[in-house]
Amino acid sequence: MRLTRRRFLGGAAAAALGGAGIYELVDKLTPAPARPVAGPVPPEQHVFHQGSVQSEGVEVVVPPLHSEVVTAILTVDDLHAAQHDLEQTLGELDAAYSPDPSGLGVTVAWGLPYFLHRVPAQAKTHVPFDRRANKPVLVPERRFPSDPDATILEHNDVAVLLRSDSLDHIEAARKALFEDLHIFHMTSIRRGFAGGGFSGKRSLPKKMAIAAGIPGADLIPDTSELFLGFTSTQKAGLGPGLIANHETLGFVDVRSGYFHGGTHMHLSHISEDLEAWYLNFDFDERVLTAFRPGLTKVKQGAQTVRQGPRDISTQAELARQFKQTGRFGHSASIQPASRLLQDVVGPDGTVYRKGTSIPQRADFNTLDNPFAFSANPARDKLSDEPVAGVHFVVFNPSGDDFERNRLAMDGVMPDGTKLEVGPRSRAQGFNSVLTTTHRQNFLVPPRRHRSFPLAEL
Amino acid sequence: MAGVAALALAALVPAASSASPSSGCPAAWKSGWQALANRIQAPVYCPTWMPNPLDAKIGGDYIDINSVAKDRSYLISFLEHGDLGSGDVHVNFRGYPGRTAIPTCTTVVLTGKKPIRGKTACFADAAGTRTDRGIRATVYRVNQDADQWHILLAWRHKGSLYTVSQHVIQPYTYRQVVKNLDRLLAGLVLVRPEG
Repeated sequence: MRLTRRRFLGGAAAAALGGAGIYELVDKLTPAPARPVAGPVPPEQHVFHQGSVQSEGVEVVVPPLHSEVVTAILTVDDLHAAQHDLEQTLGELDAAYSPDPSGLGVTVAWGLPYFLHRVPAQAKTHVPFDRRANKPVLVPERRFPSDPDATILEHNDVAVLLRSDSLDHIEAARKALFEDLHIFHMTSIRRGFAGGGFSGKRSLPKKMAIAAGIPGADLIPDTSELFLGFTSTQKAGLGPGLIANHETLGFVDVRSGYFHGGTHMHLSHISEDLEAWYLNFDFDERVLTAFRPGLTKVKQGAQTVRQGPRDISTQAELARQFKQTGRFGHSASIQPASRLLQDVVGPDGTVYRKGTSIPQRADFNTLDNPFAFSANPARDKLSDEPVAGVHFVVFNPSGDDFERNRLAMDGVMPDGTKLEVGPRSRAQGFNSVLTTTHRQNFLVPPRRHRSFPLAEL
Repeated sequence: MAGVAALALAALVPAASSASPSSGCPAAWKSGWQALANRIQAPVYCPTWMPNPLDAKIGGDYIDINSVAKDRSYLISFLEHGDLGSGDVHVNFRGYPGRTAIPTCTTVVLTGKKPIRGKTACFADAAGTRTDRGIRATVYRVNQDADQWHILLAWRHKGSLYTVSQHVIQPYTYRQVVKNLDRLLAGLVLVRPEG
């Protein structure tokens, strides 16, 4: 199914008014996967049970077909009333949908402007403090070495992440939160999709890219979970359980405990040059670029490359590979910062083994350029022309923990060691085909305080 | 937009750059290809069609590279550089007389201190085959040097390796380039050395 330019433009216009535009195709192109029966609603907003399947002998989490992030600023001054109204609406959504992809996942995250301007005194007392970094868990946005100067650092009050296999559920939630409630002014809508290829059939990203006429769409492997050709949601590569909670690993002081069960969320939009990736990097180079140099036993065409605790790179190995080859892999560079260096026992007694991944990613592919809707289209350089990209969403125990991971991706290790490559050099592969357009950090309160946190104090 | 530009280009430029493969190498182009075959003392493949707006006249308006190495391997490159925003159209023909192995290219990784050099296959990421007029060509998607960012067809004939490639760049999309290469393949005629 090839979407004509006229039809796509129609979709984009509809998107600005709240329709889903091109993303309605997702439901026509791929049936919803079978999902395990959901348990009770967890105390954490970011924990979302998704189920898993085997892919090329590796357990992978099956992401929701649809994801959407809506950002907004506040239009109200009476936070107590707004808190009541928002919580009532969220409660109604909880009652209407099961807390899994067959129903709906709702994560309400709050930006630094909210805490600085709406609840500054309470924030000083209650926002958790990262002892390791000696700074609050919510830090101002920044650019990273491989970011262009044009990367926009955003200042939204709130972001709501909506996840579901059903577009109708997401649309109903967005309408309830942003149209029926009159407390937010939407600044952007960001839409996308993932997965759909684990059954051996053509995946959603490939179908959607072809439908939108994205340059390089034909080059995407048929069953690829994401545009860049490798499975991103293998279970061992995602933080398990409550590991991304502020309190779990012990380096964050949750102070009064108000945000116990909360986490940090980073949101960015990254455009991907698929032709540059697939026409300049052969399969072997794509493997060493995505994972690490020297990874030579990967079957040609493989998409799921095991990244369990025994497969990860240490900083010493990374440095040695870099010295020998002049390059480093995406996963290998991040792992010294993103995996546990020793066993850790969480406050609830859960043992997290050495090598376990900390970040919990919720990223999804998109055709937004850069968003489906923007209240400031000139600043955001909004375009109707679809582009391949990813809305990157990740939960870490703190903003500094995210920054450690992201800096490592650019060759800056947690101990300050720098692997000297140019900011967008081919030697760090992935970065040379990625362009980050927007970034913002958020704090995700526990579910009990998700509505206007601290406003009641 | 790329597709629109390509269509506009196609509409504006008449099909002067094509000929029937049954009629052999087009008369306007033949002398150059014959001279090449004579120079390397080996057969070469002459196209009978070229993507708009190119022709395949060696020494003509679109010739970009006309190079023969000491080992008699050649690179003939035709390029229209669209300075006015129409995009680039770039087609390369190569031949390696007396050898069929995929050649090796040098890679250079620039690091903070000194560049690290390596070797890699000049044509990689094979993605199926195309067959026409007795030629069974392998499609390569990742290619080096003058064929970087090109889709390339490579085939063997009587102990020699031949290639044709086109750059994936506006106004031609990947899909259009694949079609162009199919049409190029279908129109290739062998020109044998004289004398």
